[in-house]
Amino acid sequence: MTFPVEDKQGFSVVILNGEVDLNNSPDARKVILTCLKKMKHVMVDLSNVEYIDSSGVASLVEGFQYARTNNLEFGLIGVSEAAMSVLRLARLDQVFKIYASLEDRLENGS
Amino acid sequence: MPLTGPQIAQINLFGMLDQQVMEETVREDLVRPTDLPAPPKDAIRIVQACSRPGVDSRDLARLVANDPVLTAELLRISNSAYFGLVSQVKSVSRAVTVLGNRALRNLVLCISMRDALRSDAIPGFNIDVYWEDALRRAVSARILAELARLDPEECFTAGLLQDFGLLVLLFLNPDKVEHWDRLSESTPEERRDIEVDLFHSTHDEVGLTLAHSWDLPMDLAYAMGYHHETPPEDTEYQTRQLCRVATCADWMASVYRCADKRSAIQAVRNLLAENFDASAEHSDYLLQQVAESVAEAATAMGLRIGEQATFDQVLREANLRLAEENLSYQELTWRLEQALGERDRYAEELNRELDLAREVQQSLLPDAAVRLPGITGLNLSAKAVSGDFFDYYRVGEHKLAFCLADVSGKGMNAALLMAKTASLFRCLGKGIHDPGKLLAMINREIFETSVRGMFVTMLAGVVDQASGEVTLASAGHLPALHMGCAALIDEYPAKAPPLGISPDSLFPNETFDLQGGCLYLYTDGLLEARMDDGQRLERDGLIRVLKEYASVALSERPRAITDAVVGTDGVLEDDLTLMIIEGKR
Repeated sequence: MTFPVEDKQGFSVVILNGEVDLNNSPDARKVILTCLKKMKHVMVDLSNVEYIDSSGVASLVEGFQYARTNNLEFGLIGVSEAAMSVLRLARLDQVFKIYASLEDRLENGS
Repeated sequence: MPLTGPQIAQINLFGMLDQQVMEETVREDLVRPTDLPAPPKDAIRIVQACSRPGVDSRDLARLVANDPVLTAELLRISNSAYFGLVSQVKSVSRAVTVLGNRALRNLVLCISMRDALRSDAIPGFNIDVYWEDALRRAVSARILAELARLDPEECFTAGLLQDFGLLVLLFLNPDKVEHWDRLSESTPEERRDIEVDLFHSTHDEVGLTLAHSWDLPMDLAYAMGYHHETPPEDTEYQTRQLCRVATCADWMASVYRCADKRSAIQAVRNLLAENFDASAEHSDYLLQQVAESVAEAATAMGLRIGEQATFDQVLREANLRLAEENLSYQELTWRLEQALGERDRYAEELNRELDLAREVQQSLLPDAAVRLPGITGLNLSAKAVSGDFFDYYRVGEHKLAFCLADVSGKGMNAALLMAKTASLFRCLGKGIHDPGKLLAMINREIFETSVRGMFVTMLAGVVDQASGEVTLASAGHLPALHMGCAALIDEYPAKAPPLGISPDSLFPNETFDLQGGCLYLYTDGLLEARMDDGQRLERDGLIRVLKEYASVALSERPRAITDAVVGTDGVLEDDLTLMIIEGKR
């Protein structure tokens, strides 16, 4: 399985969906890191994520850390309730930049 | 100094260099955009004129005649055996008439791209080897034209141009030419991954950008830009077909170049079956044609190439036919037995290693034989080794330090980070009795060496068993539950993110009185444990179970609770850890 990427408004939007767990988090990691290594700003769309485990969250954390080191922007958009409850419990909502949508990011800035 | 990878990545999709890059480039007197390899302006003018509807062939002939070198090459190639026209052409105007606009456009492009870079333009790199590679793609694409029902010369041009972005990436990063062998020996997909690592960009992205900036016709631009990924949905059928040809040609050429020939041959068979309904035999026949046509095409294009391997030689190297034809049934059986025996030996070795790892890991947990009153814990692993752990030890006459943690992911990598975190807790905790400060210190240590985004959620605290006072800090861990005999008294969710994410995170302490109740710390393996009805326990289910078993003796309670929630099959989806701390004793 691979996750789709769409280039929009200066961002690579990586779309994660379904259950992001130990089975497919390596795919998520590769897609996110490939975009960042191309020096692109990345927004990860989590609107269709039904479940995310700690390995899936780790792929987001790695993207966040790579982006920070390389002065790139990294954020999450349209985070589903299932994903948000995991992020909120771990207080990762304090760490990631989270937007309602790409339009929200474009209107309100980073 | 040339543009760097990140700078080239900023070339925008409209083909203009990013304004900032352009300014920096000019200011620092580095490579100017005009120094990028590109076809000459005269050639671009001809290409554009050829695409204009109703263009007068006399005007075209005049445009071509302006460039004597181009004219000579055009006539020579038009008359070559490879591109063999029905009749010999001796003048530009005749060439324009016989060839037609599209073929003229393609030939002009091939010639001008070939000459876009001088042979010594990239120090330490022999451009001939690149063109040999490109020529194989061009020949492969031309061979596929019939299957795709496209113009052969158009396919040839697409094949010749499709990886030009790589030449530009090497031109801009001459310090990376030493990686050419690695690039050329990898399959097309592997090569893109290497390009991302080396250049922060890929040849198809750069190719599409350059093609737009040169105003190349859409079909060729798309063949350059979309031979690894599918073109946009609204792309015309013919252009889409040309992209498919370019994808297949890439793999066909790689059969003669990459290290893993067996996989490349199979990939070509799969691609040709999928895209053009070709059989495996037909696929192999076309691959054979590539080797037979390359030398002729090189002569026509005036390119120098080395000695070419035949398809049979490639096959022998891939050992495909040998495996199929020469191995008898007995030999196959013998080899299978050998392989199975080897697999079993590896499995045994791995199991021994895992047993050792498990033993070491168990030694990091508190010794079950030396029980401390008022505190207990249990760790169950989903795999041989666990990413969870708990620990406690005395820090004063009445005080105990304790922690419970969960490393992201499962398996060996999680177990190694667990071992490190457990050691840090034991080592640093002896001197730092403030849980928040201890977590901050461990966090900085873990952050410095964190890999793959791995992180640790952790609860750390100190309990005064004389007064029942608890001081607790949480790094992104699930809420600790303060339970009385019959009800939930309070819960303590995390106020700070997990360890290993940000170096400067702060972990506030919370202090409260256990009032004779118990504090339950647990990992998500407990919440996610599936009950007999298949449902996950979740928070409310856990509180229900904790109430139910509140009266069981402390030392027996973790086992009683986990037995109740794990279900009859005993299969765990995740590591599961539970720790219970009693209030005043």
